[in-house]
Amino acid sequence: MPMTDSDFASRCNIHRSYLLRVAVLQLRDNDLAEDVVQDTLLAALQGASGFSGRSSLKTWLTGILKHKIVDAIRRKERDPVRASLEEESQIEDFDALFDESGHWENPPADWGDPEQALSQQQFLDIMQFCLEKLPPNTGRVFMMREVMELDSDEICKELSITSTNLWVILYRARIALRQCLEQHWFAPTGRTA
Amino acid sequence: MARTVGIRISCKDASRLISQMQDGNIPLRQWLRIRLHLLLCDACNAFSRQMRFLRRAMESYRH
Repeated sequence: MPMTDSDFASRCNIHRSYLLRVAVLQLRDNDLAEDVVQDTLLAALQGASGFSGRSSLKTWLTGILKHKIVDAIRRKERDPVRASLEEESQIEDFDALFDESGHWENPPADWGDPEQALSQQQFLDIMQFCLEKLPPNTGRVFMMREVMELDSDEICKELSITSTNLWVILYRARIALRQCLEQHWFAPTGRTA
Repeated sequence: MARTVGIRISCKDASRLISQMQDGNIPLRQWLRIRLHLLLCDACNAFSRQMRFLRRAMESYRH
């Protein structure tokens, strides 16, 4: 079935707000996210012939967006932010979590059957809150790994960091998220009013 | 007892490796240490389940 350029453009535009949401979450910069989504849609229109229809349009657009986000993060890393990524990977602030013999100071609690939380909007809001509390670069790297599904080697290459640095960053992100979720959702006993 | 010392790891090391296992393979020796540690440690078992849950929770951001 023949499709005009403007048909294709409007079909792409339907996904604009979704793409923007993903970009904002990963870049934490509204203006930059707007630019990246704009670039993505432009690239999609220019490369419309590359869309085979084998995957959904949304999946295809998300694939383009991933590359644009990685480019944007890499450009950001060239300016002084880069130093802070290295700093964030070098802070070893995990000692406080464990006693001298390496045991948990506050052992992780049993969350029971956490799956059901995923269908609750309130939980997703808390998840969002916890993600936004991560140090910015730690959050970006975590999103590259978990949402954009880049593997370790790709992330290390894109950001020019060592795998040891990467593991520390991801470990920090996960530790912080589990603490935040436990405090605000799974076992809010320690919460102060 | 003395024979087991070499393969015992602390919760601090175990938790780090459990996280690392989500990002690629870890050496067999380390993997065996983790399995042994998890047999004995409720806290790290909870941590390990939480890590898997985190990954599933993040999947909802992919779509």
